[in-house]
Amino acid sequence: MIGLAERPSAVAARRPESLPLAFLRRLDWVLISATAALVVYGLWVVAGITKFDVPGDEGYYVARQAFAAGLGAVGLVLAMLVPTDVFRRYWRVVYAATLGLVLIVFLAAETIRGSRRWLDLGVIQFQPSELGKVLFVLAIAGYLVERAGRVTRWRTVLSALGLGAIPILLVFLQPDLGTALVYGAALLAALFFVGVRWRQLVTLVLAGALVVVASVWVLPSAGIQVLKPYQMDRVAGLLDPDRDPQGLTWNVTQSKTAVGAGGLTGRGVVDASQTRLDYLPEHATDFAFASLAEQRGFVGSSVLLLLYLLVVWRGLRVITVSGDLYGAVVAGALVFALLFQVVVNVGMTMGIAPVTGIPLPFVAVGGSSLVTNLVLVGVLQGIHARGLLAGRDAAP
Amino acid sequence: MSDGAYRERRSLSERFLPPDPRVREPYRLTPPLALRVGILGAVALALFAILFLRLWSLQVLSGDEYLNAAQNNQLRLVRLEAPRGSIVDRRGRAIVSNVPGTAVQLWVGDVPEERRAELIRKLAKVLNVPAGELGRKVEARRNDPLTPIVVKASVSEEKIHYLYERRAEFPGVRVAGAYLRSYPYGSLAAHLLGHVGEISEDELKKLRRKGYRAGDRIGKTGIEAAFDTYLRGRPGAAQIRVDSLGNQVSDSELRQEARAGYALRLTLDVKLQRAAEEALAYGIDLAHQNKHWAANGGAIVALDPRDGAVRALASSPTYRPSVFVGRSDPQKLAPLLDEEAARRANYPGLNRALAGLYPPGSTWKPVTALAGMQEHVFSAYDSLQCTPVAYYGLDRQKFVNWNPYVNRPMTLPEALAESCDTYFYEIGNRFYERGREGRERMQQWARGFGFGTPTGLDIGGEAEGLVPTPDWRWKTFESDWDKAWNPGDSIQLAIGQKDLLVTPIQMAAFYAMLANGGKLVTPHLASAVEQPRAKGSPSVVLRRFAPPPPRPTGIDPGALAAIRDGLYLATHSTTGTSSGVFANYPIPISGKTGTAEKVVPLPGYPSDHLEDQSWWCGWGPSNDARLVVCALIENGGHGSTAAAPAALRLFERFFSRDAPPAILTETD
Repeated sequence: MIGLAERPSAVAARRPESLPLAFLRRLDWVLISATAALVVYGLWVVAGITKFDVPGDEGYYVARQAFAAGLGAVGLVLAMLVPTDVFRRYWRVVYAATLGLVLIVFLAAETIRGSRRWLDLGVIQFQPSELGKVLFVLAIAGYLVERAGRVTRWRTVLSALGLGAIPILLVFLQPDLGTALVYGAALLAALFFVGVRWRQLVTLVLAGALVVVASVWVLPSAGIQVLKPYQMDRVAGLLDPDRDPQGLTWNVTQSKTAVGAGGLTGRGVVDASQTRLDYLPEHATDFAFASLAEQRGFVGSSVLLLLYLLVVWRGLRVITVSGDLYGAVVAGALVFALLFQVVVNVGMTMGIAPVTGIPLPFVAVGGSSLVTNLVLVGVLQGIHARGLLAGRDAAP
Repeated sequence: MSDGAYRERRSLSERFLPPDPRVREPYRLTPPLALRVGILGAVALALFAILFLRLWSLQVLSGDEYLNAAQNNQLRLVRLEAPRGSIVDRRGRAIVSNVPGTAVQLWVGDVPEERRAELIRKLAKVLNVPAGELGRKVEARRNDPLTPIVVKASVSEEKIHYLYERRAEFPGVRVAGAYLRSYPYGSLAAHLLGHVGEISEDELKKLRRKGYRAGDRIGKTGIEAAFDTYLRGRPGAAQIRVDSLGNQVSDSELRQEARAGYALRLTLDVKLQRAAEEALAYGIDLAHQNKHWAANGGAIVALDPRDGAVRALASSPTYRPSVFVGRSDPQKLAPLLDEEAARRANYPGLNRALAGLYPPGSTWKPVTALAGMQEHVFSAYDSLQCTPVAYYGLDRQKFVNWNPYVNRPMTLPEALAESCDTYFYEIGNRFYERGREGRERMQQWARGFGFGTPTGLDIGGEAEGLVPTPDWRWKTFESDWDKAWNPGDSIQLAIGQKDLLVTPIQMAAFYAMLANGGKLVTPHLASAVEQPRAKGSPSVVLRRFAPPPPRPTGIDPGALAAIRDGLYLATHSTTGTSSGVFANYPIPISGKTGTAEKVVPLPGYPSDHLEDQSWWCGWGPSNDARLVVCALIENGGHGSTAAAPAALRLFERFFSRDAPPAILTETD
């Protein structure tokens, strides 16, 4: 007994820690390592797929992406340090900020490729709706948690839906269907984790399916167009991929060809003709996964998918260690949004999900997306560390 | 730092107070939430499993397939046009050959969707082609963007340079070698040769299995169409590497050499053909001199009566087939393609020798005579009175002879020589009086001589003509009066008038039958398919076209001899209708004139205005026929003053013997 009491480690454990150190020790270092690995792996992937994109400057995109990663790391730390509870208390402010972000593009953004998504900040272009994703989750979760006792009532569910619908609609009108879908997925996940009844969730999903059917099928036949023609084409292309291989489904056909051509170990950077000869559209952004699959094969793609799986797993774990319901809902919605992006984007490149402009998280060239995803991880870290700290305080 | 506790809603006053430790309810992970986390975890696992399986299936299970597809993506087969075979006359003189040209192609698949409209507009402007038409072509090729559209088959050097210098502005535009039809003899035989053009949707549907592809050039009409299989050759293929914008990134690599088309040898004789076309112009000119101002068209057919080989076949007005080639000029094409422009130019695209329908007039009389003798309606050497007028039918309808000054008995040869109408009215009436069946006998013989059906010329495009019968009248007309077959129908038919319609080539085939002793030949143009060889050495004959054997018509040799007598007298006796033209020609020619009345709508005349169609059909030498000529001058007046002298021009060229000056008198 005595000898046991004098073991140094046991003594150290009892010694009070300084708060910053305690906080650091309670970060999810596995999640941080996985994120870092994703970012580094992503930079390596980008180096490969953009090697021939800018003649004479092989590192053009990698350099910009690395800069964004640095910026994202700062964002991660900041997001981690802000107490999550602040967002809960001031969710109204956060919501207003979200609206502001998605609205500003209508006022100040120039139209690129038929869509007003990007804000020109001089040196860099910034896509506000990306960062809006995290703010949206923080705001909606705040609203729901404020009414946690009444979430089983339809009134609460519907008002939360109405609150969420405004930014979703604005993003949809940019038009950016992909990001709007991500917002929608996050909203659904928030409802799921705040404790909305199963019956209500099923009803919501069915109603959502009805809206999709109506906008794709019923309303157009009645002469009302909800989706743009190109969006309709993409849906039609998913249902019947062999139709018109040169027209509507050209992107997907080329993407599947690229993925398939990669084989087990890939064709390498130089010989990946789908990427190099520009058969693969948007190979640095939306179709980055197909490009990676062509260059690095099944092995290279699997590494990426496993890293995603690791992040998602650690993210789900954050829900369980959260010190409060708000943290749990936020973590749940963010993780689900991330999962949704990965699955839809990767599925799209392999022809099993519709073509929507969702970038591949952590990899696709695009600073806004990378910074946002790192901020997202920062929020998760904050929830994780504070949850564990609270657990320590609460322990007898 | 947050205490991490979950609190119920508090009033505003409480919000900034420190939490009360006594009401502190530590948040705990509730079992339902844990369940939901578990569910999402399971969903995530399932989704990743699907992604992995799909990745495995694409990359490992069917990786080779996709690798192949990716490699083929960069390789593109380019069709190399084969030089089209030439068309040569019977002595090997090229009537149609090729010249190399430069075509501009558009590979629709290489043009980004959003740039298409602009590109079409710019390209149409640079190449001076209608933008709307190009747009329609692009739209039609939507589902087949890897087959290029030929924007223009012949583009000048400067424009090629212009496009090359601005190739960034013109994605998907490529230059390719092309062969253009060239016509060393200008408009010679234009109606027979036909033209070549890009294959149409409908043609493609029918011919795809025979190796035709979109964008191919194909014979559209005439010989080019009928013998396209031989003339077109086989396109070759070359492989190039391209990037996704269709920019060529490697030299082209020949995969299959194009095989040039075979040459087609015709029975046509270039010199005689030219003579025929000049003769037509001469005949029309003569008609004008005789104040037949409406004469502005015609046809001449010259056959070898022994086997039906077409030696010359001309139709007027004509056109230059080169208007269809390369830099085609819409203004020049309009008379051939546009209804209204065609009418104004008197239908230059119509081959009158094959598709022009005319009443034959007196040139028909041998048909009537042969049928009459075969049916024992009359006998060749019975004398029938040739009167200035005759009356037939219950109403004593009056039928007049063209020559009001004749009134004497005639045998058949005399009646043919002088073209006595009343003589043949009598034969027509006798057919009529034979009752229902008898009224159809003459028409049956006419059909046996090839009238009422195409002669079977190997390039097609023939009209059937019309041999009227009581049955036909009954079926065609509405009113009781029109439905009836009256004496006048039989009587007028006997001199080749009223409803009867024939084509010049049908007449030529019939006269060939008279000339060769009673066998019906099938007119034909193609003689052989040949593989051209180096200049100087003879071509290798790959296939010789044997004409269908002449068909016996079953006519009595005595009856035929009487007809031939009559047609010799018609060109040689003092009263013969074309003796003034042929009697002094050193080679004996036999033949018959015709002056047929046809309703011709002319501006400023009543709608039932009648114009004389000038005919002459015959052969020479009379007893050893080598050439049959049938000439028709539209609205040309009397047969003896326009068609007969035109026909003589052909004999002069054929026998290389000029005729002494002709004496032209107006006879039937």
